[in-house]
Amino acid sequence: MSTEDLPPIPPLAAAEELAREGEAAKGGPATTTGIPGRERAERIRSVIAYTVMFLVAALFAIPFLWSVSTSFRTLADTLGGFSLLPRHWTTSGYHEAFHTFNFGRYTLNSAIIAGAITVSNLFLASLGGYAFARLKFPGREVLFMLVLGTLMIPDQLRLVPIYLMLVNWIPSWVGHLGFHNASFVNRNGVILIQLVSASSLFLMRQYFLTIPRDLEEAAKLDGASYFKTYRKVMLPLAGPALAAVGILTFQGSWNGLFWPAILLQDRSQFTIPIGIANFRFAYTTLWPPLMAASVLAILPILALFIVFQRYFVAGVAAAGVKG
Amino acid sequence: MAVAVAKRRQARGLGNERTREALVGYGFVALPMAFFLLFFIFPVGYAFYISRYNWQIFKGPYVGWGNYRTLYHDAVFWHHAVRNTLVYTVFVVPLQMALGLALAVVVNQSIRFRTFFRAAFYFPSLAASAAIASIATYILASDGLFNTVLHHLGYHHTNAWFTQENTALPSIIGLNAWTTSGTMMLFYLASLQAIPVDVYEAAAIDGAGAWRTFWKVTFPLLKPGHFFVLVVSIIGSLQMFDQAFLIGGASGGPNYSTMTVVLYLYNQAIKSISFGYAAAVGVVLFAFIFTVTLIQRLLFGRAEVA
Repeated sequence: MSTEDLPPIPPLAAAEELAREGEAAKGGPATTTGIPGRERAERIRSVIAYTVMFLVAALFAIPFLWSVSTSFRTLADTLGGFSLLPRHWTTSGYHEAFHTFNFGRYTLNSAIIAGAITVSNLFLASLGGYAFARLKFPGREVLFMLVLGTLMIPDQLRLVPIYLMLVNWIPSWVGHLGFHNASFVNRNGVILIQLVSASSLFLMRQYFLTIPRDLEEAAKLDGASYFKTYRKVMLPLAGPALAAVGILTFQGSWNGLFWPAILLQDRSQFTIPIGIANFRFAYTTLWPPLMAASVLAILPILALFIVFQRYFVAGVAAAGVKG
Repeated sequence: MAVAVAKRRQARGLGNERTREALVGYGFVALPMAFFLLFFIFPVGYAFYISRYNWQIFKGPYVGWGNYRTLYHDAVFWHHAVRNTLVYTVFVVPLQMALGLALAVVVNQSIRFRTFFRAAFYFPSLAASAAIASIATYILASDGLFNTVLHHLGYHHTNAWFTQENTALPSIIGLNAWTTSGTMMLFYLASLQAIPVDVYEAAAIDGAGAWRTFWKVTFPLLKPGHFFVLVVSIIGSLQMFDQAFLIGGASGGPNYSTMTVVLYLYNQAIKSISFGYAAAVGVVLFAFIFTVTLIQRLLFGRAEVA
């Protein structure tokens, strides 16, 4: 795999790790075993180590468990002093969150936005990644550098220009295509500006580079078109990379706060994070529905994480760069 | 059959085939490239252009460096937004790095439940910032879990941590050190696994204990890793927005104690509709972040994290 032409971008490691099937390499330090007399000390040390680790893990988990516990309480229960579990279990927090405070609608909006962005990233990043990895065309390296360069452009710099573009230009362009009075200071805008990301494209390209060429050559000999080769040969082989891109994109856009905070102004289009942000200031101490909404925001990501942990870990570099 | 097709192709000429491949290549990258040009590359120049105008709702008169001059004398920007962002960065970066490294060293041992520990330490980095911030607000409320625990330990603290001017920012620092430590852990883990095993074997033969091995062998060998994590952490800290927005509100309360540079930019653009001025803030922030990145590239060149 040629990495000569690449700047030091961490997702490279991620793509390589994905390409390596199975568990990550176990390159831990060598343990000194087999020396008599040390065994007892070793055992005591490992008991202490495990205890400390479980304590730290518990410390990491407590905030989440506490929010789940509170989401099943009555409001009176949250004010009545400390108790580990709810004194009266109730789902009224969820009821209120869904019906009184509209989080049912917000959940749907989050799913629509994150779903659309994920599908579009999968398609555009794999198509572009395939072209950058396999097809030869003049200016390919320059264009790819340009893609990687976008990783250095912070969202904050883009805030004002993109906001003005979405208000002024894009609606008028779309108007020329026959869609009049289209607005992009809403859900459509949030989706539009995140259709594909450089880290998605980079991850796909790096993965395609690790796939042996034999299969494509066979397809080529059979007279398959480039699109068919992409669709029938490359995509089925790129499962792990597609999974990583899909999961990371979904997680990022599901949690997204910055662009939704700027572009979602109509309540009916709020996502869960924006709903939570607004709720926090309107109803400061209505803890059970707030915790229910927080659980709602966390649960899908937790489920994804439990099932697909490997892809999260492999793709962390990409996510870290995105911030 | 296949051979016949191949022969026909060859007959059509290689040059032709190359042109077709190139055209298909351009076709496949056209949409992503158009997207990156329109929504990433172009806005960089456009932001600078906007920053040279007195641009409110509509484009106003050209003011040259006027917005930058105003920014230079803007007390709220320097005394609150920049100051808080720097304080935040100075404290949160070492905390994140230390926590991340400690966790990475732990889960890099050949221990049981390694996957579980790694997952448990990493998960807070993945959860929505809005959810984490509201859980933290609840736990750090005046009668919240944290004050209850403190009370049992003999410390009496009755104020909500996020609503007091002197505790709001430190609380956010603590919160973010916790949530991001998992990401830093994974970066360090990649660096740790790049260290060859024979180095440790040599240290073991020399009779070095675990503590000594860590400080004399592991820690210095992690140098590229340290630097990478440092830069990622600094860039992330300079861009801090979510927690300030969620906890202090758009105004960065109480009394600007949670106002950050990005929150200030957001306020100028979305609340005050001063697009020209907000664009200038964005350009200054970008220049700063770009410099940090450049220093990293110059010092470490093509060094990879792993």
